[in-house]
Amino acid sequence: MKTAGRIYLAFIIFFLYLPIAVMIMMGFNRSPFYQLPFQFTLHWYSVLRDNTQLITAGWNSVFVAVATTIIATTLGTMAAVALSRSTFRGRNVLRILLLPPIAIPWLITGTAMLVLFYWTGIGRGFHAMLIGHVALAIPYVVLVVGTGLQTIQTDLEEAAMSLGSTPLHAFFSVTLPLLYPSIVGAGLFAFAVSLDQFVISYFLATPGFTTLPVQIYSAIRKGFEPDINAISTILLLSSMALFLIFAIFVRPGGKVDKR
Amino acid sequence: MPAEGNVPASPRSGGNAATAAMPKWVATVALLLPTYAWLTLAIFLPLCAMFAFSFLSATPMGNEQVSFTLQQYAVFQTQPYMIEVAIWSLMIAVATTLGCAILGFLAALALARAGLGRSRQILLILIVLPFWTNQLIRIFSWTMVLRSGGFLDSVLHFFWAGAPSIGFLYTRPAIVLGLIHGYLPYMVLTCYIALIAIDDEIIEAAMSLGARWWTILFKVLVPMAMPGLVSGCVLIFVPVIGAFMEPRILGGPVGVTLGTVIEDQFTQAFNWPLGSALSFIMLAVVLAIFATFSGVLRRNASA
Amino acid sequence: MTNVEVKTVAKHYGGTPVLTDITCHFAEGSFTSLLGPSGSGKTTLLRIIAGFVAPDHGNVAIGGKDVTHTPVRARNIGMVFQSYALFPHMNVNQNVGFGLARRGIRGSAARDKIARALEMVRLPDFGARSPKQLSGGQRQRVALARAIVTEPTVLLLDEPLSALDRRLRQEMQVELVRIQRESGLTTIFVTHDQEEALSLSDRVAILDRGEIIQSGRPAEVYERPRTRFAAEFLGDSNFMSGTVRDRTIVLEDGQRIATGFDLPSDGEHATVAVRPEKMTIIGGHDPASDGENQLSARVTNVIYAGPALTYTLQGVDGTTLKVFAQNRDGRPRETGETVTLVWKAADTVPIEA
Repeated sequence: MKTAGRIYLAFIIFFLYLPIAVMIMMGFNRSPFYQLPFQFTLHWYSVLRDNTQLITAGWNSVFVAVATTIIATTLGTMAAVALSRSTFRGRNVLRILLLPPIAIPWLITGTAMLVLFYWTGIGRGFHAMLIGHVALAIPYVVLVVGTGLQTIQTDLEEAAMSLGSTPLHAFFSVTLPLLYPSIVGAGLFAFAVSLDQFVISYFLATPGFTTLPVQIYSAIRKGFEPDINAISTILLLSSMALFLIFAIFVRPGGKVDKR
Repeated sequence: MPAEGNVPASPRSGGNAATAAMPKWVATVALLLPTYAWLTLAIFLPLCAMFAFSFLSATPMGNEQVSFTLQQYAVFQTQPYMIEVAIWSLMIAVATTLGCAILGFLAALALARAGLGRSRQILLILIVLPFWTNQLIRIFSWTMVLRSGGFLDSVLHFFWAGAPSIGFLYTRPAIVLGLIHGYLPYMVLTCYIALIAIDDEIIEAAMSLGARWWTILFKVLVPMAMPGLVSGCVLIFVPVIGAFMEPRILGGPVGVTLGTVIEDQFTQAFNWPLGSALSFIMLAVVLAIFATFSGVLRRNASA
Repeated sequence: MTNVEVKTVAKHYGGTPVLTDITCHFAEGSFTSLLGPSGSGKTTLLRIIAGFVAPDHGNVAIGGKDVTHTPVRARNIGMVFQSYALFPHMNVNQNVGFGLARRGIRGSAARDKIARALEMVRLPDFGARSPKQLSGGQRQRVALARAIVTEPTVLLLDEPLSALDRRLRQEMQVELVRIQRESGLTTIFVTHDQEEALSLSDRVAILDRGEIIQSGRPAEVYERPRTRFAAEFLGDSNFMSGTVRDRTIVLEDGQRIATGFDLPSDGEHATVAVRPEKMTIIGGHDPASDGENQLSARVTNVIYAGPALTYTLQGVDGTTLKVFAQNRDGRPRETGETVTLVWKAADTVPIEA
């Protein structure tokens, strides 16, 4: 039974990584029509260097992701502190209101944003994408930071106050330093959510301002060359690196002895 | 000694004496307001606006004459092909969910029960890792595997030179395959969390009572992992029903689903009211699913 | 001199009363235990004194100053928490120095005070350690040092020993008493452990369902419990009820119980409590001497624990009685034996039912 289980797991992992591996490999293959046999080349990466459209879209993605990270991490951390450190009526309703950005298909929220932003004159482009991305990232930040707050006992803050701290000083001198790994983790999460976001960006992009996933999508639909594989490989590997850093920062069970 | 100690205090209605300088609720509101204002602007108001749009007769652009109407919601009567599209969309979503359930549950079972020890964590990260990369790129990568003359065919022809092409890009099975690939980690994760909580002793007890492996699987493991299985199904079915990019890329001409129809209304046909109405019908389905399974989802989230 | 004063304090959570009309004093330099079962309100009372919880009404004064509306930070308290609440991202010196820094004491002055506090808790060379590197008992000592280094007006201890194992707890009890004596701090100690309360403090206050049932010196409260709850929660007790006649209690079966204390007037119902260790078991039936009570009972169970024996007996009227005996007088009694219990009238305490 155990051997069968291991073979099956190997098959699942093969299934998950096969297309990704093929995609990465094709970025290093000479044929522009994805023909095998494989002939190694860095040609497509040098082509990519001259593809200003993709490069610009890539930098746009990074700008949106950085701005999203800063705003979503700040707002989400504030909300997480309020939601986990004070008790008031309606707290559960507020918690449930964090779900729609995650739970409703992005096609619906994306088109809804398009409608409102068009209607009110907010329009599309960088600012519109930022509004959308931050809204999608905030619930994750609240979740990650809220979980981190749960592992920090409230009596640490009380101890600080009993020693003469104001609630604010107690938060900044005791809670925040202990919460730091969770906040960094939440920030990485927000960055990854924004960087990989396609659907919302797609509906809010303008011809003058697109992000990398939007540009890749239109390239796939209009015809493309393996330089798309090259940029996809870069985006893929950066997301994976982000996740691994996140896994190190917010290790489940890594904070057990935090008392 | 000052006499103030004897002055009776005015009654106070609870609260925290520690923050006498500023009422605590002011701080709470100040902390919460930015987040919920932002969500209102980005999520709740747009949904309201879209709801309003779904009752318009045409997109209010240019000089178009616009009036209020329910006609958009009658789309399934006025355009009967939409019924076929809806059915295909549902079938794709069901097939994807079922495929994920079977493959994912077994993977979670192997992960939880195959005595892997410490490498279990690494395997779990390996399974979840692709999930954190761009879905669009992963779907795109399947085109290189599945197209005729693609990777799959190349491998086949390497072993059997004269074989016919088995590439099945631009078919519905290709869509389902891509979607399963995209959402499988969800199911592995939810099932794994449920399965890892089952005590080894329960299985040993079942074995000591003479249960065979299929009895243990269907009478012990599956029922006990049911909350995880159901959560996984809901978490997969909901986004899949709204998928448009995957059917577009992997389905080509046959990849017409509710999602792509909605996308077209907003990006090609510019019939925003129709797109809004279809979005809202989809939202109603999604909310109904969540309402039905909210009990299971909540129990699973708190576990 | 009164140092901490609580006046008519009440607190409700939602609709449930947690404290009802509490009034009590804590004298300068005294060590008082707040003793009660969980849910009795003892922790809430401590947190009201500390300032973490605002009372619905009533006043709290510390050092002669009304602090009812003073925030925690300005009350000049020292508090030790059940979980110790040491700051995990600071070393021992930084933990102990935290309160000093808040009072503007830094540099060499702070270093001296920290060193003295650590010496007092007998951890002089532990300043550079992180809390993670300390054992439970050591964490406890650091928490204590941190609470006393600021020379607070009152030291508040919230079940600080409950997380320690039995041997370590006894060791820390001795330490706690020594440190309290040396520092002379007014100390309020919340516990649900009656032995701890009796052996540590010079005053005990028993709480039940949000009220102080009884308070006084430990021996006073133990020897003269005023209510059935106090008699049962603090130690063990045997209860006997009957009707008052001629300054004795007549049980249902006609036997008379004498007491050295005042009883209600004739004809009224009364209950008395007798500590199990005050009773002795004799074989036959001697005529009762003056100032002594006798009762015959049947042994239903014997727990043999080496130096001591615990007997469970059944009185003639069916009441269950308990007797603690030293393993001294030859052969222990057997189950089923009918024996006579003897105790002094002076150990027979009338209680409110």
